[in-house]
This record gives sequence, structure tokens and C-alpha cells, in this order.
Amino acid sequence: MSILQLNNITKRFGGLTAVGNVDFKVQKNSITGLIGPNGAGKTTIFNLITGVYKLSEGTILFNDKDITNKETYMVAESGITRTFQNIRLFKKLSVYENILTACHRNVDYSILDALLMLPKYRKEEKLLKEQADELLEIMGLTARKELVANNLPYGLQRRLEIARALASRPQLLLLDEPAAGMNPDETEQLMLLIDEIRKKFNLTVLIIEHHMDLIMGICDNILVLNFGCKLAEGTPSEIQSNPKVIEAYLGVEG
Amino acid sequence: MTQFFQQFINGLSIGSVYALMAVGYSLVYSIMNFSNFSHGGVIMFGAYFGYFLLTIYKLPFSVAFIGAALLTALMAVVIERVAYTPLRERKAPYLYFIISAMGASIFLENIIIATIGPTFRTYPEIFSKTPFKLGVLSVGRLDVLMFVTSAICLALLIYIIEYTKIGKAIRATAYNIKASALMGVNTNVIIIIVFALGGFLAGIAGVMFGMKYTVYPQIGAITLKSFIAAVFGGLGSLQGAVVGSILLGIIETFTAGYLSSQYRDLIAFALLIGVLVVRPMGLMGKATEDKA
Amino acid sequence: MNTYIEGILILAGINLMAVLGLSLLTGFTGLFSFGHAGFMAIGGYTSAMLSVKFNCPFIPAVLAGGLVASFFSMIIGKLTLNLKGDYFCIATLGFGEAIRLILDNVQYFGGARGWPGIPNSTNIWNVLAFNIIAVLFLANLIRSRHGRNLIAIREEELASQVIGINVFKHKMISLMISAAYAGIAGGLMAHYMTFLQPKMFSLVKSTELTIIVIFGGLGSISGSVLGALILTALPEFLRSVSQWRLVFYGLAVIFIMISRPEGLMGGYELTPSSLKKLLIRFKNRSQGKVKGLEGGNK
Repeated sequence: MSILQLNNITKRFGGLTAVGNVDFKVQKNSITGLIGPNGAGKTTIFNLITGVYKLSEGTILFNDKDITNKETYMVAESGITRTFQNIRLFKKLSVYENILTACHRNVDYSILDALLMLPKYRKEEKLLKEQADELLEIMGLTARKELVANNLPYGLQRRLEIARALASRPQLLLLDEPAAGMNPDETEQLMLLIDEIRKKFNLTVLIIEHHMDLIMGICDNILVLNFGCKLAEGTPSEIQSNPKVIEAYLGVEG
Repeated sequence: MTQFFQQFINGLSIGSVYALMAVGYSLVYSIMNFSNFSHGGVIMFGAYFGYFLLTIYKLPFSVAFIGAALLTALMAVVIERVAYTPLRERKAPYLYFIISAMGASIFLENIIIATIGPTFRTYPEIFSKTPFKLGVLSVGRLDVLMFVTSAICLALLIYIIEYTKIGKAIRATAYNIKASALMGVNTNVIIIIVFALGGFLAGIAGVMFGMKYTVYPQIGAITLKSFIAAVFGGLGSLQGAVVGSILLGIIETFTAGYLSSQYRDLIAFALLIGVLVVRPMGLMGKATEDKA
Repeated sequence: MNTYIEGILILAGINLMAVLGLSLLTGFTGLFSFGHAGFMAIGGYTSAMLSVKFNCPFIPAVLAGGLVASFFSMIIGKLTLNLKGDYFCIATLGFGEAIRLILDNVQYFGGARGWPGIPNSTNIWNVLAFNIIAVLFLANLIRSRHGRNLIAIREEELASQVIGINVFKHKMISLMISAAYAGIAGGLMAHYMTFLQPKMFSLVKSTELTIIVIFGGLGSISGSVLGALILTALPEFLRSVSQWRLVFYGLAVIFIMISRPEGLMGGYELTPSSLKKLLIRFKNRSQGKVKGLEGGNK
């Protein structure tokens, strides 16, 4: 069963076609990889799914509902969230506050409840704090709870960004180069973490990555892009033996 | 009909001076992405420079005019170095730039009040008050000077921006400051040049406003008109700023002429609201998408 | 109480009311307004009209002033808050000036000459009560999910959207509450001065409010309180050099931005628990074992 359906999506910037006619389905509860050379349009696809960019053509369905060109926050409300290639944390807030903020949709007390500190506010606020603590524990960030996000080591910043995304309880998580700048050891850890959270939170993951070990190791399915167009799709072993993919990555032999 | 043309010419001349201010503001906005609210203070200094060069140093008009513009350009660069450079080096958030600009604006206005005093000063009479006769139309000599000078300055600016190497670098920096720096553009120098250009034009505008009205510490408030004109034409677009300013000048003059001079300042705001409702990107602006 | 001191305190309280509103908008949401004097004017004139022309009691009149100011802010917000760039900033600037120009021409309110004879209902106690409630509301708001969303927007707008924060709606909420605070401040001022004149609400007033917020520290309520007290009282004691006051303010604002942008309080709050923490830190330091607040993490 597919959770996300990209129907012939196209994005043009002026005369440049960044993404052309991409047709693709993401299977529910899968980890799907999105790979391709630099400038192939991978991040653009993320931006199109999350409504950061508006589509030139095509439609996007999520759980069979049309989310084409919806505002970013609406896409998030429907259950899709993401991380960014260049980490975008709430830099001056603590690790804990980053998570707590992202939990905001898990309760529904109103502004009036908050202004007057009504029982509903107290009760739900307590709930949020428990949720945030729990998530910190799962993500192994409890020890650095009070640290300002900007002062975290790089690898942990990436981890915090994933934690923050999880706090909003998505069904589909888009990870944009989560292993960028990590050493092999950290990459390995990250791989395990992604697989673990997928199971724990019943997630579907769509991941952009250049570390081929990571992609080939955890993905169920892979979409390969080149110059904005779909080059191939299939299981890791199919992709590894696909001549077109080899050509795009290594150039034509002879 | 005569009155119509008369108003039109007056509007053109005042609008062209708005344009001088608006392009300075737009240039900085396009490169540094914040509203430089100290621009009004810089224009006010231009008016005072011109006044003192003429009255105390008794310089010939043309020398005083250019001198005032050069001093104002220097002033704009000094403000950039003091109030913005440290923020740029620290990659401070945009809010800090605006606040710093506001601080500079308060400082400039009040240093004049505290030292020279809040009194209105009148420029010595340089042009005779008798207007030119163009058929049935009579056009003030000062209005002609304002229009012609502004037109020349704007043409020069557009020439610099569009056809010189420096202009190319300015456009590249406005398009993407980081990429331009990587491509070997010295963005520090570009920013200084932009402030100097904006300051020079501000000086010219200041002197002309000083001659048209009087000189006083709050004269910089007139830049509100150029901010509105810049939004009107499309925030960040130079051509838009020019077109927006001239239209605003003409509309204002017609409002004052046919309705009431009390509504002259209000019409600018009504126009601002109108533009925001109908076409927020302005006459010549483009809707842009941020890169995530 | 000495009436001179009392007068200064009332003025500081009125300023504080508006500053708290601006603090929410600028300090916590990261939006910059040049039009808060305009919202004060709307609140002031509305409440004065209600009490002079319609014999409305003081408190409802002042609150209605806040409500009307909030309504006006909604219009500005609707037009500009979803645009990228400085549109909001310029629109508030234009709005503040336009309100003043319009009031100059409304003879019903006395026009530019001003409007005397407003009942003197504001006193130290009701100003204090308004301020206490305002501070409590603001503190509660900031510590709620809504407040955290505002701070998130200030920190990183795109990331806020990605976690499902409706940025436009939250900016609007912040603006409307902020304008309501300013409107109430205007009402208090009208009923303290017993006289209103459009030029009381010029750009200089808006700027002054912003300076207080910056001086106190962006994102700190206690900073705003201290800022309002100090910067209202200081000029009163420095009358002799009053023309240099704004020169120093201007320099101080630049200096704060380039050297200590966090202002007086640096984003921290003076609360019983933070004072306790500070005390413990001092104690530990004096005993020679420095245990920073984050020390145990490594």
C-alpha cells in the first residue's frame, strides 16, 4: 500500500526544469531512498512535498488525500515532516525546548486556558513535558537536555533535528542527508537509529543520502534521479546492477 | 488643462527627488535585506552640509552641491562601518540590523538638535523666484533643477548598475551575496560602494529638499515617502523604486491640487494599503521563493 | 507618597503596559513595529470618547480601547504578515503616521489642537493592577505552547512551519495581543493626562517604546519591566541634559546591538527560581567547586 504518491510532478524555475515529470510511490512503513548526483532535484522534491515550493505541474497524494501546493504547516498537520540539509534548529533554545515546542500539536488547550492557567492548561502542559522527556530518552539526548542547541556537537544536532521532527508525530518522515558530515562510525549508529525509530513510531521514511553504504543497508526501495528526471527505481540490489545508474554515477565506460 | 500640466510637472519634479532617496534605500535593501531606516538621517545631513557650505564657507553653488553630496556619501559609509559592519561580521539576525539602523537614525536627528538646534533654516536664494515660461505653463526654476539633476543622477546610476563591472558585481551580490563572495567578488567593498552611491544621491536629494522647503532636524522623515514608493514599485527593485516614486510624486501633487493639501500625506498611506491589497509584490517586483 | 514620584511611577506603568505588548511582538516573535504609538492613539481616543461622550465607566472604556486597537492591528496584519520582506515594518510605520494625520483632521476629537477635559481616572493603583495582570498574562502566554511557537517563529521560521506551526496565524495572535496592550496603555494615558493631542503619538513615541524593549533585553519580560522603570525615570532626573538624552539613546541602541544585543537581562528572567539558581552558583563558587549549570553534561 502506498502512503505517498507523486503523480508526474514538475517544478520549473524560470527556464530551468529542476524536477521533470517524476512519478513515484512510497510504500507504507518502508524506508525509501532518494539518490542521485548533486543537482538532480532531490531536495527540490522534498520542498515540493512539504509545500515549501509550489508545483508547476502534477499532484501529490498523501494517504490518498490531495496535498498538492498546501501550506507547509498544513502538510505537517496531515502527518509529513522533515529535516533539512543545512540543519535548522531553534539555535538559541535548549535541546529540551526544541522538543517541547515541536510537541505543540499533541494537546489542544487554547490561549485563554494558557492566559488564565486553567486546569486544562496545567494538565496538558504536564503531558507535553512527559512526552518531551520520553522522546529525549529514546533519542539519547537526556544528558544534554539543558544544553543550548547551537552548542551541541554536529552529529547530535542532526539527531536533535530528527527528534524534533518525531515530536510532531509524523507518519512520513523526510530526512535530507542526515549523515552529511558524519564519520563512518556515526553513520552506522544513525542507520540503526533510523531503523529503530521506524519500528517504534510505525513510520515511513524517505531519505536523501550520499553515503551509499547507508542507503543500500537500510532502504527497502530506492528512487534514482538524474537531471530532475527519474532514472530508475527498485530494490537496492536492482539499483546496484542497473546499467543506467552506473552510467550516471561513473560515466560511460570506454 | 493648463492646471493639469502644471501639476503634472510639479509632481514629476518632486517624484524624481523621491526616486533619488528610494533608489538608495532599495540598493541597500536588495543587498543586505533590511530596511535601512537611517537613510532619513543621512538625507537630513545632506541638507545641512549643503546649507553650511553655502552660508558659512560661501562656496559657489555647484561646488557646495557636489561637496555636500560627497560628504553625505562619506557619512553613509561611516554609518555602515560603525552600525552594520560589526553585525555583518557576526552574522547577526536581521532584526538587529533594523534596530541598529533605528539607533543611527535617532542619533543623527538628535545630535543636530543638541548641537545646532531645532530651528528651521532657509537656504540662501540661489535661483530667482520668477518661473520659466513655457507657452502658457510657468515652471519654477528650482523644479526644473530638481527634475533635471535627478534625471541625470538616476541615468548615471542605472548606467553604473547595468553596464559597468562594478554594477555587475553589485547585481551579483544582490542576487546571492554568499555565492558572489565565493566567485571572488569582494562583497565588503561592494557594500561600501552601495552605501556611498546611496549616500551621494541622498546628499543631492537633501540639498534639493532643503532649497525647496527649509532645513530642520526632522526633514529626514520625508524618507517615509520613499519607503512607500519602494513598496509601491516592488521592494528591492531599482526600476520599481524609480517608477513608484515618480507615480507617488504625481499622485500627491494632484491630491494636493484638486482635493486638499491636508490629504497629500494621507494619500501615500492609502496608496500603500491599496498596493498591499491588490499587488503586494509591487508594480515591478516578482514573487520569489526561498531556497530551503 | 510624594506626588512627583507617584507621577513618574504612573508614567512608567503606562509605558510599561505598551512596552510589554511590544516585547511580545519584537522580543518574542521577532517582528518589528514602528506603529505602536498609533495603536496607543487608537486606544486613547476610543476610551476617551467612551468616557467623555458616552459616560462609560473607566475600566470598560480602557479595555474597549485595547480591543479597537487590536482590531486595527488585525487589518495591518492581514495585509502584510504573510509577505516576505520588510512590508510589515513599513506598513506599521505608515500606519502610525497616518493615524496621527487623520486625528489631526478629526474635529470631533479636537483635531491638532488637542482634546481637553477627559476625566482623571488613572491612578497609581489601577495602573499597578493593569500591569500586574498584563505581566501575568504575558508570562503565562510565553510559557504555553502558543508562546513557544512564537519563539520558534522568531528563531527559525521555516523549521516552525515544518513542525506544523501556522506562522501567519501565530504572528497575527502576537500582533493583536500586542496592539491590545498598546491600546490599553493609550487609554490609561488619556485618563491620566486628561488631555489628548495627536502629536503625543508620533514616531518618536513608537521608537521610545522599542528602545525600552531593546534596553531591557529582547525576549525578557523582567527586562522590559526594568527597562520601562529606568528609562522613564532617568530622563526626569536628567532634565538639565534632556536634549542630549536621545543622542545617548541612539548611541546606546547601536552599542547594544553591536556589543550586547541581549540587553540588560540577556533573555533571562528574574523569577524566584532563577534567583535561587544564581544564589546557588555564587555559593558554589565561593566554596571553590565551580559547578556550572551545564557542567554535569560532558
